Amino acid sequence: MGVYVHIPFCVQKCYYCDFYSLVVRNQTEFQLVASNYLSSLRRESVFYRPKLKENVFQTLYFGGGTPTLLPAADLSELVSFLIENLPFEKEIEVTVEANPLLDLADVEILASAGVNRISLGAQAFQDHLLRALGRTHRAGDVFRAAEAIRAAGITNLNLDLIFGLPRQSLKEWEETLQKAVALRPTHISCYGLILEEGTPFFHWHNLGLLKFPSDDFQARMYTMARQSLKEAGYEHYEISNFCLPGYRAKHNLLYWANRSFLGLGAGASGYLNRVRYTNLADLNKYWQSWLQGKPIFSQREKVSLNQEMDETMMMGMRLLDGVAEEEFKGRYGVSYWEVYPAEIENLSQRGLLEYKDGFLRVTERGLYLENMVSAAFLRGV
Amino acid sequence: MSQKNIRNFSIIAHIDHGKSTLADRILEHTGTLSEREMADQVLDSMDLERERGITIKLQAVRLSYEARDGEEYILNLIDTPGHVDFSYEVSRSLAACEGALLVIDASQGIEAQTLANLYLALDHNLAIIPVINKIDLPNADPERVKGQIEEIIGLDRDEAILVSARTGEGIEQILEAIVERIPAPEGDPQAATRAMIFDSHYDQYRGAVAYARIVDGTISVGDNIMMMSTGREFEVSELGVFRPALVAVKSLGPGDVGCVMASMKDVRDTRVGDTITLVKKPSSEALPGYRPAKPMVFSGLYPVINEEYVALREALERLQLNDAALTYEAESSAALGFGYRCGFLGLLHLEIVQERLEREFDLDLITTAPNVVYQIVLTDGSVKEVDNPSDLPAPTKIEFIEEPFVRATIMVPDEFVGAAMEICQERRGVFGNLEYITPERARLDYELPLAEIIMDFFDRLKSRTKGYASLDYELIGYRQSDVVKLDILLNNNPIDALSCIVHRDKAESKGRNLAEKLKEVIPRQQFEVPIQAAIGTKIIARETVRALRKDVLAKCYGGDVSRKRKLLERQKEGKRRMKSLGNVEVPQEAFMAILKVE
Repeated sequence: MGVYVHIPFCVQKCYYCDFYSLVVRNQTEFQLVASNYLSSLRRESVFYRPKLKENVFQTLYFGGGTPTLLPAADLSELVSFLIENLPFEKEIEVTVEANPLLDLADVEILASAGVNRISLGAQAFQDHLLRALGRTHRAGDVFRAAEAIRAAGITNLNLDLIFGLPRQSLKEWEETLQKAVALRPTHISCYGLILEEGTPFFHWHNLGLLKFPSDDFQARMYTMARQSLKEAGYEHYEISNFCLPGYRAKHNLLYWANRSFLGLGAGASGYLNRVRYTNLADLNKYWQSWLQGKPIFSQREKVSLNQEMDETMMMGMRLLDGVAEEEFKGRYGVSYWEVYPAEIENLSQRGLLEYKDGFLRVTERGLYLENMVSAAFLRGV
Repeated sequence: MSQKNIRNFSIIAHIDHGKSTLADRILEHTGTLSEREMADQVLDSMDLERERGITIKLQAVRLSYEARDGEEYILNLIDTPGHVDFSYEVSRSLAACEGALLVIDASQGIEAQTLANLYLALDHNLAIIPVINKIDLPNADPERVKGQIEEIIGLDRDEAILVSARTGEGIEQILEAIVERIPAPEGDPQAATRAMIFDSHYDQYRGAVAYARIVDGTISVGDNIMMMSTGREFEVSELGVFRPALVAVKSLGPGDVGCVMASMKDVRDTRVGDTITLVKKPSSEALPGYRPAKPMVFSGLYPVINEEYVALREALERLQLNDAALTYEAESSAALGFGYRCGFLGLLHLEIVQERLEREFDLDLITTAPNVVYQIVLTDGSVKEVDNPSDLPAPTKIEFIEEPFVRATIMVPDEFVGAAMEICQERRGVFGNLEYITPERARLDYELPLAEIIMDFFDRLKSRTKGYASLDYELIGYRQSDVVKLDILLNNNPIDALSCIVHRDKAESKGRNLAEKLKEVIPRQQFEVPIQAAIGTKIIARETVRALRKDVLAKCYGGDVSRKRKLLERQKEGKRRMKSLGNVEVPQEAFMAILKVE
């Protein structure tokens, strides 16, 4: 199991992002809001403490928003508090998502609190593309940040990259991949841009103000990423994720294995005892609710065993290893061959799915059409 | 009430000229309904009718009116449908009247249907009361319309009554005019009973209900009646009039309009236009004008999910109880499986049936492109009627083919005459006549193949004339025509349900455009889908729906599980509404794509 903590603060909203966050405009006000928020997070974690078994957590992940917008001391204090008060194992992965505008002193503070993995939102290495994304950092900041992270003793580093941007050429994408590889991070995520409802990109797209590359072009960029990262020694282990051997993101693997996780913070989701929940994405109401010591949800759904099986297949198909026959059977007491005989047969015939060495996984073609594969395992419809 | 105090009338108007609102005001004014009781537009009782703003089923309402002469009158208002698909039903309801209100929009003026209905009314020797409606609108020009009435219709302009159905102005004058200008019904109470059915509907509890106008004699509860076209006999269990709710009466005499209930099983026992007489003293001669409803347009209806075949049949059975013009016959398609070949009066009728099946019976349907009935004269001299492209015999066996033609009347403002003529020419029209009924308004007569009319003709005519053109048409018979079957192949397999019959001169361009259109509507799928159009063995067009290269979510973490599941479920649901042909998923609209191409 893992713990996800949502830190919903940003200096500026990126034009593609639909995660919940508050744009910070005024430092004094931010101090107050942030300290209230941290207090709520502490209450929330304590609230869940009695519901959890010993030593259940192996990972802790801070996402946003921009977690590093919190003063490093505050964030470190939170890390320490959570590790002390929630049932973590000894050796754990602690990841913080960070904007490349980082300095050494801050990273050192985080490292001393136990943070051992940083995920940098590099996105691209061309300043005109970073501007077009609404990012506040520039290409040079990524190099400086990587240097600071390593100087602080953190070696496990991820770079987030985006492709399929308006006016992004294949050449530029190639250059981004090369520069990323040159930094030798342990992990690289390459995300094809998704137009999410409610984002400026979505709006501008609808107005015809911005032209986005076609799916076919995105597919070419994706193929390029797979090839050049493979050549550089990175293992492709999830649709959008690549790593040096031994550096798969432990926390994210829990999601793809459809395991339980505790989600803390406004707008965060969690999955506990087969209940999927999402906290209300409203800082103020979240805080007020925890003043009373009570959770506040925007969604809560009990997941049946059958539905969980389906979701385990749906999420597992994202992994290039696929879903292990033994693990599925061990978990549900029934083999996926018995639950999805027609679906597996159909997908295999269409060349989208294959069974090999105890794993059911997408084929090369299925990797590009993973929605078709996943959809087949949803028996609700 | 004596016969001389009865007035039977209908309201005829072009669509949107305010017939229903005017009917409502008349009901209100005669106290048949208080304002509060009224849902707007009472006469259009089906939801679908109200949404589409047209009247599908006619009804009759009995009004009581105390005229200025101090006498009490019964005014029977017989409603008529306002669309060319239902022109036979219009003619029957007009035959039940002695007079008609001719409603003309004060700003629009006379339209094609106004004239078509007027000619029908004149055919039945009806007294015409011209009514200029919507005089309250800012662009109303009643003087111009009065001019049209004089020039085009040949009535005295001073006979026109100026009305605003919206505000109620002029309603009183209309009622007085009905009493004064429309003659009382003639008819001999002592003669053998003859009543004309002008409409019918199916009632769950009472069976088929006939709406009839008594011409001679009487009908009373308990009488044994006979339908003169079929000879079938029934015992009258109930008689009623509508005010507008059903009120039971003991008997109906000459001039009366009411409904007859006699435990009749379905509406085919109560055929519009048929004559009811009494078994004990039958009339020797039926009233003139009866003709069985004859479908003109045929289309295949198939359930998207094969298992719904039985449900579709049951739904069609139920609809037919209420719709004598609807026919259906089982058929099967290699592509679509089992379904029904259905006959309709016209395209609107088709759409209404399709919509009712989907809405009221919750069926997902594939409707194949509509077809007219072709007469095929074979080389051995025999004749075959074909309403389905799949049934067209091999070309070597065909001597020649005939297709139905109509005479179309199009009314259009002067500036759009060119556009209207152009579209008629494109649609293989034969020019008949161009006449200016006023300096700025022309009337065009064309002879056109019915097949062209049902291919989206009216919508296109309207769009090319900024909505100003109006259309009416009537069947004028069959003509020899050089038509061929256009086949469509998906993934190299011919899809029978996508075949259509087209004129040889247009086959190539139709084929090309259809292939292009199909490329648009068929979504990209895992494999490339070649689309070919062929005449016989000759491929005339080829398009390709390229394979889907990428269908995957870039980001999917813990918080995205529900979202991803819902997204995929939605996609799956959408797919379920598509028909899987071989391994090609084809959306419903593909089967009607032929309507959308030139």
